[in-house]
Amino acid sequence: MSSSVSTQLLTNLKAGGCDFFVSVPCKLLAGQIQLLEKDSDICYLPVTREEEGFGLCAGASLAGRLPCILMQDSGLGNSINAIKSLIQFFQLPVVMLMSYRGSPGEPVPAQVPMGVLVPELLKLLQIPAIHCHQPADLAEIRPLVDHARVAESAVAILIDFQLMEGEI
Amino acid sequence: MNRYELLETLVPVLEDALVVCNIGIPSQELHAISDRDNHFYMLGSMGLCSSIGLGLALTTQKRVVALEGDGAVLMNLGTLATIGNRAPDNLILLIIDNGSYGSTGDQATYTSGETSLAAVARGAGSQKVIECPGEETAGVLADCLTARRAAVIVSRVAAGNRPLPVVPLHPIVLRERFRQSIRK
Ligand SMILES: [Mg+2]
Repeated sequence: MSSSVSTQLLTNLKAGGCDFFVSVPCKLLAGQIQLLEKDSDICYLPVTREEEGFGLCAGASLAGRLPCILMQDSGLGNSINAIKSLIQFFQLPVVMLMSYRGSPGEPVPAQVPMGVLVPELLKLLQIPAIHCHQPADLAEIRPLVDHARVAESAVAILIDFQLMEGEI
Repeated sequence: MNRYELLETLVPVLEDALVVCNIGIPSQELHAISDRDNHFYMLGSMGLCSSIGLGLALTTQKRVVALEGDGAVLMNLGTLATIGNRAPDNLILLIIDNGSYGSTGDQATYTSGETSLAAVARGAGSQKVIECPGEETAGVLADCLTARRAAVIVSRVAAGNRPLPVVPLHPIVLRERFRQSIRK
């Protein structure tokens, strides 16, 4: 049996060079957060809000690290100005690992109004994104992380309920 | 003493540190007093100076000074909890508290009312918090840089701004010269 989806996600991110992680929690990402807390190869800390997290990522990126922010997709709404006027304005690579709340499988109705906007919002913000439905999709993470560095851009990975089903 | 006069006294102390400077007039004033490669002027994203500083401090060995404003910290108060728990020894958060939103027409902030950012920083977990008048700040900052211990300094100054143009640097030029100063 292969390792858990959470482990594979993290392995792919680290293989791509992510070495600085911040998180705003989500139950779909709880497995990765537990792994990050125990991982001494990387720098990890929780933040209080997504835009604060983008600030930390900008600092780490200036210092030559490749940062990754774990967040709910709803946090994209809290972060648009930070993404545009800091991350994209200074062309700082950042990987966004986002739980795709509000997509099919979502039990909380209030997550839906923001969730349905997220794919189009990412497009509007010109953030290259992939959508992971099943374990085979995790192979797309490594090239996307490389792309963040090459394009000096934020990139997004959407993780849906179906993929995390066995881990929540 | 206002912010500009304070910055004039701080510049000599900041030469060997990485400086992240709050958006707007604070950056314009620092740039006008002394434009150096170790200065990262925020050109957007109000409120995130202290967060950028924390991200830098966690990933470099150099000393990092985040030159914040009272209005900007009020916009991102959670930063004080993250810094109170996770600031490394090389981070100094220097809040220039003039009780005013200086870049937007000098509207009063709540620090000119009942709010004490030093008390909030202490409550949020920072062990070393020093509140001082602007006139004493350069000395306090120099001591903190020598001590190599995380600190929050709240420097009380009068409101007031120099009329200056927008920082005339392209963001990528600014990014690259700042990155080079990190590597030096
Ligand atoms: Mg102010």
